Amino acid sequence: MAEQPCVDLSKTEAILGSYPHEEPSLIQVLQDVHRAYNYLPCDVLVRVAEVLEVPLAKVFSVSTFYKAFSLEPQGDTIIKVCTGTACHIRGAGQLVEELERKLGIGAGETTEDLKFTVKTVNCVGACAMAPVMIVGEKYWGGAKPARMSRYLAEGGSDEN
Amino acid sequence: MRIESKDQFAAFQAQAREREAGRKKRVLVCCGTGCLATGAREVAEAFAYEIAERGLDVEIGLGVKSTGCHGFCERGPLVVFQPEGLLYTKVQAKRVPEIVEKTILGGEIIPGLLYKNPADNERIPAYEEIPFYKNQVRVAMRNIGRIDPTDLTDAVAHDAYAGLAKALFEMTPDEVLDEVETSGQRGRGGAGFYTARKWRSCKAAPGDRRFVLCNGDEGDPGAFKDRSIMEGDPHSVLEGMIIGAYALGAHDGYIYVRDEYPLAVVNLQAAIVEARKAGLLGENILGSGFDFDIRISRGGGAFVCGESSALMRSLAGKTGEPRAKYVHSTEKGLFDLPTVLNNVETWAGIGAIIHHGGAWFASMGTARSKGTKAFSLVGKVKNTGLIELPMGTTLRHIIYDIGGGVLKDRPFKAVQTGGPSGGCIPENLLDLPVDYERLTEAGSMMGSGGMIVMDDRTCMVDVARYFLAFLTEESCGKCVPCREGLKQMLGIFDALVEGRGRQGDIERIETLAAGMQLGSLCELGKSAPNPVLSTLKYFRSEYEAHIADRACPAGICRDLTAFEIMDDCDGCHVCFKACPTNAIEGTIKELHVIHHDLCISCGACLDVCPTDSIRTFPKIELAVREVV
Amino acid sequence: MPTLKVNGRKVTVAEDVYLLEACRAAGVEVPTLCNFDGLEPWGGCRLCVVDMSLAKWDDDWFKMVTACNHPVEEGMTVITDSERVLATRRVVLDLLLARCPETPLIQRLAREHGIEETSYELNPEPTDCILCGLCTRVCDHIGVSAIASTDRGWGREIAPPFNEPPPDCIGCLACAEICPTDHIKFTTSNSCRTIWGREFEMLRDPKTGEAVITKAQAEHFAARSGVPMTYFETSDRSKRLEVAKTVERLRVVKS
Repeated sequence: MAEQPCVDLSKTEAILGSYPHEEPSLIQVLQDVHRAYNYLPCDVLVRVAEVLEVPLAKVFSVSTFYKAFSLEPQGDTIIKVCTGTACHIRGAGQLVEELERKLGIGAGETTEDLKFTVKTVNCVGACAMAPVMIVGEKYWGGAKPARMSRYLAEGGSDEN
Repeated sequence: MRIESKDQFAAFQAQAREREAGRKKRVLVCCGTGCLATGAREVAEAFAYEIAERGLDVEIGLGVKSTGCHGFCERGPLVVFQPEGLLYTKVQAKRVPEIVEKTILGGEIIPGLLYKNPADNERIPAYEEIPFYKNQVRVAMRNIGRIDPTDLTDAVAHDAYAGLAKALFEMTPDEVLDEVETSGQRGRGGAGFYTARKWRSCKAAPGDRRFVLCNGDEGDPGAFKDRSIMEGDPHSVLEGMIIGAYALGAHDGYIYVRDEYPLAVVNLQAAIVEARKAGLLGENILGSGFDFDIRISRGGGAFVCGESSALMRSLAGKTGEPRAKYVHSTEKGLFDLPTVLNNVETWAGIGAIIHHGGAWFASMGTARSKGTKAFSLVGKVKNTGLIELPMGTTLRHIIYDIGGGVLKDRPFKAVQTGGPSGGCIPENLLDLPVDYERLTEAGSMMGSGGMIVMDDRTCMVDVARYFLAFLTEESCGKCVPCREGLKQMLGIFDALVEGRGRQGDIERIETLAAGMQLGSLCELGKSAPNPVLSTLKYFRSEYEAHIADRACPAGICRDLTAFEIMDDCDGCHVCFKACPTNAIEGTIKELHVIHHDLCISCGACLDVCPTDSIRTFPKIELAVREVV
Repeated sequence: MPTLKVNGRKVTVAEDVYLLEACRAAGVEVPTLCNFDGLEPWGGCRLCVVDMSLAKWDDDWFKMVTACNHPVEEGMTVITDSERVLATRRVVLDLLLARCPETPLIQRLAREHGIEETSYELNPEPTDCILCGLCTRVCDHIGVSAIASTDRGWGREIAPPFNEPPPDCIGCLACAEICPTDHIKFTTSNSCRTIWGREFEMLRDPKTGEAVITKAQAEHFAARSGVPMTYFETSDRSKRLEVAKTVERLRVVKS
């Protein structure tokens, strides 16, 4: 297992406090934890297992089953390239390649400086604007490889 | 304010309608995910600012309203002016002062902002006259784009909860069931099971506690109708679920929403809070004595959770692994209790069915597929977006009359429906009336209503491979035929697109496909071979070309395709700029050349060439040329 | 008690059993890899598929179902060797053989179905794990849940949390013993047992000195059942000796 820095568990306690302590809360709690830490730190999973009284193996199983969860720290800005069908036939693959050229990382990877994580995601439901790329929270419709620098520069800061 | 009786609801309704009538002049800004991406929020804010600044709210009673998705996402941000019904497309925030000045105050139309019909280049001012909208009949999407999804009063002014009030105060639960049966409505999630039959089966199951669930895990790539409904008219979903719960005697409901739909979660959550406050949800709904409440559960990102038993396991905090459904979930569903699970669009239709009557719904559609159906029309088509039409509309009408035809007027090749469980339908079946049975007969399925139009620049082997790759990632891995079969099938397709295909591959594909269809545990695995089999059925020669000639006829598979610029190149230099690997050489106004050693066959040049001067040819010919 | 017809033979079984049991009662063998008496059926391996027709269906209408988890019903007709059933089993075994090319059990089953070599791409990293889920299910059944499936699809594996020695494991070996392919490795010496990368202290029989059970397992069962620890640390041999002694004493009294 990768060395992980100690994490602040107080955020976890706050999240756990807002859900009933039972197994059906597990995925909802993990969602919030993931948002709070940008990944699922293992100390946190141990604590979640303890409080919700779910075996740790099941917590780990759920954490690795769902695509929304990462067990590794992720970049400050997450770049999601939609690879839905409409995006696929309108050139989503070229966007992933361009990112690889620009950032040196492939899908599912994070830059060494922890600035960017590139992910390919299933249809985000914005097919009419295919191909779609989401940089941070900013959606770029009709995205073109040639404009990648702009997307990267503007994406993280935009609050849209 | 909490509504505590039938009369109080009627009074609230009257008030809401009166308020609506008093606000004749409105600017409706589409704030669906598509338009938000192109700056709709800024546009709405700019209108609000201008209106306040000039005091137009007081002076001429002008208001601005952020609505859900208008469906015509490609032209966004969209703005509709009422009462004129004028539509502006691609509106930028910086142009808002000009629009207020000229259009709202001066009554002058700005031609550049009007929709231009690609068929004849005519500009069409009226929203209702645009072919994309004119041909639609909206039931599930009846209020999307008309109401502010975060404003309950606005929704009620447009008949929200009218069906619920009727059900609670004028009908018994069994009468509600009968009405739904009369409507002939079938599940809008894809399988097309009769809604009433499902409800009756659940109602007949023993036990005191039962659940009503909404499947908002719209995972089919290329489909986004459920997203738009949850974002644009969340109350229609809640209303349907409350009516369903009343008919079934259920008191607990869950909406399972994809994690990829953040705005849907926000709007649904807000709607639930508002509905509770108004007494439409919770204890003693509208003073009728009926209790029902709804919770939202966010999915964790797994396509398989759209499958009912996987969704229910996921709701229970577990991995999304389907189980055998020899005992139906209507008897043994969530937490092993009787459960009804319906799709978002199904629930959204229920309120209208009760309000207008089952017979009204059944008057639309075909013999066995009643009512209307929402589709997302996307891919290589001119007008992409969300539409709702009576069942039985032909594919040709949808793609050409509503969709405006294939992008850049390229030749039509196929339309993919039903997502990864569906198939590709070729040109000779374009006159197929769309309903559950016809699509299945054609080797595809309704699915969640995604329609992806494909042109000649689409390789059908690549498309099948795309779906296999998708499903290989999404298989839960519980059963052997799906887990191992998809991986092996994908391996065969990888070989095909890379020019390593062998004689006998087609037969191996067919044997494996049959094993997966018969042997897999759930529908994901059982239907996984559909995209393969349908493309094989209609486009077999493309498979054969990949194997025998090492060629991709569509010029898409990179390992098989080379590009070259033809003599009619006018040297516009556009391809030069588009090429990611600097493989194109040429000065402006002179013939350009592609260097094959640098070219990665991505096709970026061909896509941008304005004069169609770039052609593809089989890569193996390069070797021949070198010899010559 | 419902009566069914399996491959033409009539058989009457209890109300609450599954088709697999009815087939066995009729003397018909149906292959399965993920089913185990006493554990809830799971329906993952798909080897036990059969053709089934309900009494109310047309005579020639059959549906393919898994025998392990399909409830029995009065008047059902079951056919376990139709062409499509055998073809489906062949695809399943062919795929498993590609995944586990070196696993004797899979080789044997495949051969019995006429497959000598897989028609698919061989797994570059051959494994004996067929992902039948028996180990995790038995672990759940015991109330431990130290291991579970991780990831999904092709990446699915059975693993302890974080792929580290599992904190909840009691070293009972139920997972290793139930594994049909002996994929789960362990060692037991007179003082120590290792499994899943963890070491367990063994309790020894006070009389014979032989290692009986891990301390963790004894504690788990003692806590669960209320039976004193001493019961668990007594070896089977010790228990038998004890019984023999008692019988001896009884004989003495008799004569």
